[in-house]
Amino acid sequence: MASASERSYTRRDTVTFLVCLGLSLVGLFSPDSWGLSIAAALRGSVLAPLVWLQVRAEEGKTSKVRLRAITAQRDSAAYLAQGLPSLLAENERLRQLLLLSRRLASSYVAAEVLHEAQATDGRTLLLSAGSRDGVSVFDPVVAPEGLIGVVLSVAKRTSIVMTWAHPEFRVSAFTVTGNAAGVVAPSTSGVGESALEFRGVPYRDSVPVGTLVLSSGLGGVYPKGIPVGAVTGVVREQAGWERVYRLRPAANPGSVAHVLILVAPSGDLGRAFPSDSMLRVQRLDSIERVRRTDSVAQAARDARARRADSIAALQRDTTRVRPRRVVQPDTMAGPVAPAAVPGDSAR
Amino acid sequence: MIPARASRLQLGMVFLLLIVLHFYVRPRLGASRASPDFLFVGLLLYAMRSPPGAAALAGFAIGLAADSLTPARFGAATLAHTVVGYLASWTRAVFFADNLLVNAAFVASGLWLRDLIVLAVSGSADRSLLTELAVYSPLQAVTSALFALLVLLAFREWFSIRLDA
Repeated sequence: MASASERSYTRRDTVTFLVCLGLSLVGLFSPDSWGLSIAAALRGSVLAPLVWLQVRAEEGKTSKVRLRAITAQRDSAAYLAQGLPSLLAENERLRQLLLLSRRLASSYVAAEVLHEAQATDGRTLLLSAGSRDGVSVFDPVVAPEGLIGVVLSVAKRTSIVMTWAHPEFRVSAFTVTGNAAGVVAPSTSGVGESALEFRGVPYRDSVPVGTLVLSSGLGGVYPKGIPVGAVTGVVREQAGWERVYRLRPAANPGSVAHVLILVAPSGDLGRAFPSDSMLRVQRLDSIERVRRTDSVAQAARDARARRADSIAALQRDTTRVRPRRVVQPDTMAGPVAPAAVPGDSAR
Repeated sequence: MIPARASRLQLGMVFLLLIVLHFYVRPRLGASRASPDFLFVGLLLYAMRSPPGAAALAGFAIGLAADSLTPARFGAATLAHTVVGYLASWTRAVFFADNLLVNAAFVASGLWLRDLIVLAVSGSADRSLLTELAVYSPLQAVTSALFALLVLLAFREWFSIRLDA
């Protein structure tokens, strides 16, 4: 049997529970505004430290997310900054290609070079244009700097180019001065694949260093006038009848990203590939043209400014000269006296 | 009654830790619906070692705090916590309160009962009531019970837990 203290203890528990239950029910069935105001009061007093703790936790969580976003933005910016020089270079190459396409008289197909990470990349190139675009075998391929090679095989959407670095590459060429002709082929002297040889030049025809060598148009594959390279020296000579010159190639197939495929080459393309000095002159000429345009625009601006000044001065004069009209009831119906003409004061 | 060897100060420290966990760590956890309810774990651990009146009072206080912080239906959480705290204190006489698994089971079932009362009193729609009671509430009950196990194991001396039972 339970003792008196235990009974009172149980009764007290029950009473406490019933009081708590009753208060809960009061809170539950009281108007919403009461509940909300009680909650707000508790949040502002007893629960304030807990709310503060929760706010700190949320801030910590969101600051972590923000830090992650900022880190991602910084990484993206660093990545973009890293790629900026190559983007500028590509932009410049594309500009040059655009200029070349404007200068070309024959029709062409623009193609992207799909480089492969192989040791032989540079000897043959995969292009993003094929027979669907009008490309056919033996079409010459050029870059803004000069000759790249010739189309070796064509698929529907792609084509393979044999570049000048390929061991079987040959092109009939002549010097820009026209005093020597021969055949250009990749260098076999062990200097490296990045050099060309200008072979079969008669011993009597001396070609100075720096002379530009162009395709001659003989053979019908390459049109006349495409730069192949520039003479850098003599490789060897066979006494009495032939000299072989080393050429610095005009275009580098290993680094080229976009090319033009000449689909119906004809005539002399020499004008489409101006020499370095000509390009410089053209650039200076365009700069001069821009400067001249700027100066004309500046002169027009000056003239406008002067005109505005003079008009303002005239208006000042006329406001000073013009008499103030006094309106009287008698003169309202009568003829209006002519106002002072501003232009007169100018005279 | 709280065992003699566990001082009130020590248990107070545990409950303070649970409060900090509830308000500072819980918002940082990913799945808030399934993350353990640290305050409820504290209430159950307290209720199983206290007289029913004190347990009901503790439940009332925690429920009031819950209602003040999420006032969807003021009074619902107060009612639920009061009832669960009182019942938990009464039922400890029936079960072995010093058993680890019994404590964990109490936490899990108590949390599910609390959710049932809160949802029923709040007037939730049938479909959401079923989803809550069938999916989220059991998930939270399991995580809370697991966390209660961890607390009891870490502070078993203070809570007089018998591991050989």
